[in-house]
Amino acid sequence: MTAETLLWVLPLVPTLTALVMLTTGDRRILSAIDVGSSAILAGLALLLAREVAAGGPRALGVLRIDDLGLVFLLLLVVLTLAVSIYTVGWLRQAVAVGNMKAESIRLYFALVHLFVATMVVTVLADNLGVLWIAMEGTTITSAVLVGYHGHHHGLEAAWKYIIVTTIGISFGLFGTVLIYAAAAASQGSAGPGAMSWSAIMQVAPTLDPGIVRIGFIFVVVGYGTKAGLAPMHLWLPDAHSQAPTPVSALLSGILIKCALLGIIRFQTIAAAAAGPAFPAGVLLVFGLISVVVATPFILAQHDIKRLLGYHSVEHVGIVALGLGFGGPVGTYGALLHVVNHGVTKALAFFAAGTAIARYGSRDMRVIRGLLGVAPFGATFLMLAALSLAGVPPFSIFVSELMVLRAGIGGGHWVAIGIFLAMVVVIFAGLLHHAGAMAFGEPTATASREPEARSPLVGMALLAAIMILLGLTIPATIDEPLRRATEIIVD
Amino acid sequence: MTGNWPLELVLAEMTVLVLLGPLVTGAIQQMKARLQCRQGAGVFQPYRDLVKLFRKGTVQADTASGLFRVVPVFVLAATVAAGALVPVVRVGPAAFPLGDAVMLLGLLALARFLTAIGALDAGGAFGGMGASREMTVAPLVEPVLMMVVFSTAIAAGTTELGALAAHRGSSWMLAWGAPDFLGFAAMLVLLPAETGRIPVDNPDTHLELTMLHEGMLLEHSGPGLGCMLLASHTRQIVTLGLVAALFFPVAPPYGGAAGLLVAAAAFAAKILALAIYLALVESSYAKLRLFRVPQYLGVGFVCALMALALRIL
Amino acid sequence: MSADTVQTLIDDLGALLLFTMILIVAAGQIYRAIYAVAAQSLLIAIAGGILAISTGNPDLWVIAGITLGVKAITLPWVLHWVVRRMDVRREIEPVIPIAATLALAVLIVVVSFQLSASLGPVRQAITGNALPVGIALTLTGVLVMATRKTALTQMVGLFASENGIFFTAMAVTQGMPLIIEIGVILDVILAALVMTIMVLRVRSTVDADIADLDRLRG
Repeated sequence: MTAETLLWVLPLVPTLTALVMLTTGDRRILSAIDVGSSAILAGLALLLAREVAAGGPRALGVLRIDDLGLVFLLLLVVLTLAVSIYTVGWLRQAVAVGNMKAESIRLYFALVHLFVATMVVTVLADNLGVLWIAMEGTTITSAVLVGYHGHHHGLEAAWKYIIVTTIGISFGLFGTVLIYAAAAASQGSAGPGAMSWSAIMQVAPTLDPGIVRIGFIFVVVGYGTKAGLAPMHLWLPDAHSQAPTPVSALLSGILIKCALLGIIRFQTIAAAAAGPAFPAGVLLVFGLISVVVATPFILAQHDIKRLLGYHSVEHVGIVALGLGFGGPVGTYGALLHVVNHGVTKALAFFAAGTAIARYGSRDMRVIRGLLGVAPFGATFLMLAALSLAGVPPFSIFVSELMVLRAGIGGGHWVAIGIFLAMVVVIFAGLLHHAGAMAFGEPTATASREPEARSPLVGMALLAAIMILLGLTIPATIDEPLRRATEIIVD
Repeated sequence: MTGNWPLELVLAEMTVLVLLGPLVTGAIQQMKARLQCRQGAGVFQPYRDLVKLFRKGTVQADTASGLFRVVPVFVLAATVAAGALVPVVRVGPAAFPLGDAVMLLGLLALARFLTAIGALDAGGAFGGMGASREMTVAPLVEPVLMMVVFSTAIAAGTTELGALAAHRGSSWMLAWGAPDFLGFAAMLVLLPAETGRIPVDNPDTHLELTMLHEGMLLEHSGPGLGCMLLASHTRQIVTLGLVAALFFPVAPPYGGAAGLLVAAAAFAAKILALAIYLALVESSYAKLRLFRVPQYLGVGFVCALMALALRIL
Repeated sequence: MSADTVQTLIDDLGALLLFTMILIVAAGQIYRAIYAVAAQSLLIAIAGGILAISTGNPDLWVIAGITLGVKAITLPWVLHWVVRRMDVRREIEPVIPIAATLALAVLIVVVSFQLSASLGPVRQAITGNALPVGIALTLTGVLVMATRKTALTQMVGLFASENGIFFTAMAVTQGMPLIIEIGVILDVILAALVMTIMVLRVRSTVDADIADLDRLRG
């Protein structure tokens, strides 16, 4: 199978899986199909990675894979696999408790895989219009998933999510239209070629800088809403906390990163057309605002999943800061942070999800003494919390350090100062929360059941990656990251 | 700005407007009656009412002063003078400095002001209430009218109505630009307000809760009331003529008497069309509550502002 | 049809679009907002038709037809059906007074015109007033979405915003490639569908409007 065919097979796999899942209602069969399909997807993605490593970017029609997309694609498939493994045990428990109705399980699985399919198209899209359509597709599928538990908080969160992100995405579409207009004007004629990112990149220096500037700002506001950049982030804590835990992991782990990929694609166009300082400045501002806005909410939080949601806002801000600082170090750090945060956040959501199921409440003041009742889960929770706070030897420390180095190297002293202050505050707050949850006397209402195995397997997989990336960056990951950085920086 | 249309023609136009004003009101009343499945009083009823009023004697409140007796005359004078500024058949400035659209709006505003003063002077509760309500509506209506006039005047470079009409040329349909749509929309929103019709005011009512304009007329009687009624008929036809001059000027393609007749017929047709619009609006909607009127007029304001912005930017 | 005539017609349509936009912002009842957005979509379809005639591009006919069928007829009809079936209160409650929203709308129009005036050489190549009207429409749709508490009015704001984007695309580049346009319309339909289902679901269980729920805080 050639790489080009693989490009089109990749989104088809989850789509077909979704259709197949609608045919049966048995939970065990559905979970088996789920895990199997994710494994196939991961395998195909690795095949594609090898092809790209050997022969460079490949394209067929509106889909294209280069190293930049590859980084996001690998993150996507790894997370999908981990989520599938986790769901096996989580679903059993959720049905037993009554959070999920047995007859709606197949629709849930189908929607999850459709969601994954739309995200695959987002990552692989070369045509900016297709990118937008897939992005809106992710909004629609995930909005249904956010409200899946059916109670009012969930529906309220889902409504806010779909309205705010659709507003944002409309801005993104407008920005896309403006860039398309600039490209069509410079190419002399409109046509599908003017919407293709690779084609636009070739003529980018000739684009009208005024239109590109305005278009880029619209795009950052638009796709930034989807990514969770402040001040467009208001939907994020609600949606990520009310969704079922596996969906939260996907939302925080990879969906907001896909939106970031959209921004990066436009950033490269804007940098070529209007000079790299302009998009860098815009991203710097939004990144800083996100980091600053998220911090007080993290400190004052009681709901554990909302806490993780605000954390996502902050870390997306850090990625934007890295891209804003620019240069090879900053960009590499930003991309590495995308991977690291995705893995760590998913792990955190998994651990939080099992803890919530055990204690029957989302309130962190109720969850106490986790180590006593669920030692493995508590360990993973502490590991994830330590990593999110930026403690070595975990992966997030490495990428945050790179972003920091890039900022210092670029001379952005004010931004670095604010960034460091926020990171220290969050470090303290997060450790306090996590420690209070893990240690101490277990709450009386905690269930003493033995821990389910499959969620632990999923968590172990992610934790292994997290620790590995914290200790060293193996060549198989380093190479694509380096090449992706080159695509952005040069 | 001066042209070559003589004083006699201007005076003739003014007389025609005053004479035809009640006819327009009668036509609107008749259309409303038909739409409401009534027989109606006939198109000439306002004339009969005016004749009746002028034959009667005056009754005046004890608390009213000499000003109250004089106000109807001044109001009628101001409105008729405004009527002289509207081009009925002439397409071009008059032969002497006559006055422009801004003056027209100022005269109408003066008439409104004098009416309110007279109502307040009588000292009755209805007069005060009607005056205060009318003055709530007035600051929202008059600036919008000014803006609409300016937005059409910018293109012509003059606010003199005859010159404006001449500038439009003989094919008004293609002379309309994007701002004209918005300006015309603003005028359509404002016409019921300026002429005192539903949905802003109810001209047929004498209930306390629903009066704006009628409240100010309540204390007048006899010839005074006749003057005020004639003034409101004239005001209505002057406003309709203003809309026609701003948006539908038609220059007679022929010269001489034939051209004048064609222009007169065109004017009658335009006034009739706008009268039909007013009658339809009155029959289709209910009167707005007073605190909703600013919202309604706000739509007109925004339209006029956008028309002006589109013209300038 | 000469280029000047096309320009004038598009400009006139732009003015009418601004008028429908004012109607949507100032609408006090949900039905008026729905009719206004339907009229707006109709005007956009007419604009598409005019551009199709003048440029001879067959894609534009398809886009105009789809806009007419979907956004001018079907989606407003669906909204109308939901209003009737849900027995929702007809008055639209704004978060800030309607006068303030109107003022913001005017500000948006002025800003859009200034923005497009600053665009330089590409601006000259674009037909007349189309770009600023498109920007104004998009931003005002967002304004309506953000300042109204009724779920259905928020959906109307969404449709108006999409109309603005379509108009800009049509006037600036004679529409985006056909596949993209169809994809965008499909997305809008699906989003509207999902939103309608959510609105009905909340309505049937709690006697409240879904956009009114605000228990999640902090």
